[in-house]
Amino acid sequence: MSTPSAIYSNPSTTKHFTINKTDKHTTNGKTTGPSQFVLDAGIIDKDQPSTPNQTYLGDLRSQVTTLQDDLNEFLTERMQRENSIGKEEEWEKTLLDGGE
Amino acid sequence: MVSLDNFVKPGQKSYIAIGLEGSANKLGVGIIRHKLGDLSQDNRAEVLSNIRDTYITPPGEGFLPRDTARHHRNWVVRLIKNSIKDAGIKPSELDCICFTKGPGMGAPLQSVVIAARTLSQLWNLPLIGVNHCIGHIEMGREITGAWNPVVLYVSGGNTQVIAYSNQRYRIFGETLDIAIGNCLDRFARTLKIPNDPSPGYNIEQLAKKGSKYIELPYTVKGMDLSMSGILAYIDQLANDLFNKNYSNKFVFNKETKEPNFTIEDLCFSLQETLFAMLVEITERAMAHVNTTQVLIVGGVGCNERLQKMMELMVLDRNGSIYATDERFCIDNGIMIAHAGLLEYRMGQKFEFKDTVCTQKFRTDEVLVRWRD
Repeated sequence: MSTPSAIYSNPSTTKHFTINKTDKHTTNGKTTGPSQFVLDAGIIDKDQPSTPNQTYLGDLRSQVTTLQDDLNEFLTERMQRENSIGKEEEWEKTLLDGGE
Repeated sequence: MVSLDNFVKPGQKSYIAIGLEGSANKLGVGIIRHKLGDLSQDNRAEVLSNIRDTYITPPGEGFLPRDTARHHRNWVVRLIKNSIKDAGIKPSELDCICFTKGPGMGAPLQSVVIAARTLSQLWNLPLIGVNHCIGHIEMGREITGAWNPVVLYVSGGNTQVIAYSNQRYRIFGETLDIAIGNCLDRFARTLKIPNDPSPGYNIEQLAKKGSKYIELPYTVKGMDLSMSGILAYIDQLANDLFNKNYSNKFVFNKETKEPNFTIEDLCFSLQETLFAMLVEITERAMAHVNTTQVLIVGGVGCNERLQKMMELMVLDRNGSIYATDERFCIDNGIMIAHAGLLEYRMGQKFEFKDTVCTQKFRTDEVLVRWRD
């Protein structure tokens, strides 16, 4: 059976995301849990995904969760980098032009 | 008279639809059966299953789109399985899959649309996108038997007075800012009372213990109303009461420093003021369209005090009031199944690319093909 894959592309970059079948995959993703805001508010998480069963669809659920994690981490890192570039430009502008 | 069976398949005796609702913090799945022929008191829609799971946040917190969407994503398959089991049918017996197209919160709506689209491909069934407000109205009419009422639609996200005319549910009056349920929910957050089973229900229970009416701003503007100013005002009173701000002479007695009212009195006063405003615009809409029926739908419609106040006004006009209990008032999947099935029976079809959701979708945008 094939595994899920994803492609992210924009004018400057293209990235392929694939799944390694031999790795262990679960439906509890690193980036698909409750938000930090509700965790800080003391929520008891009753909305976890069910554990996958040992079928093709069960495996697919786990693999898609891993794929989603990889994509989320990639995009978050990308956004943070763009933000920091923006901040550097802002800082440079403040230094050179007095913020005008 | 509109016929609902122009598109019936040969040999078909009834229609069955599944409805998925998730425009806010409730995820609902319902399955409905319509027999052939027009819906009437002798040919009622049959509710085969109607289940719901609510995303509940800690006291003092509202529900955020991201976490609400996660709740829906992680529960939707389990709810659909239970719903099919409850109904005692096989997916192959379904005629169509109905989902909430809007209005609502973007991320939760999307989670449910994706589930509906997946099922549609898995089971090879057509999809019907349903306006959430139309779902409330049609289910309210079906359950109560109200034929042509003025509809008061009151919930966490909507406050509208609606009447039917020329194949549209037309909005006669509505909120200019926040919805009534939002006003009550946010006051519940200020009071830090539990969100279980719902903040509005807990305010209603506190209000029953209140007796002193505190005058609040009364903001009816023609056929519309405004509630954000009332909320800001009552929030300030509650905060002063909590923080023991003795300098506020309205809240505390100057000499004894005893509070002039309680939290229960505030809940009572908020309900009385908001509901009086609703009754006023509903009465005016009744006079406009010359009807004696009022149907209350939406989550706030469960509030017994609102039902009572509306009843007093309606009885004065020799009319009848119609309301449903929490199974059908609060967001549910069965209303989406019912309204979607009416659309389906009129031959409405959606291309797969059009089966998307939208946060803004006004009640009067829908052409009501199934009524004269």
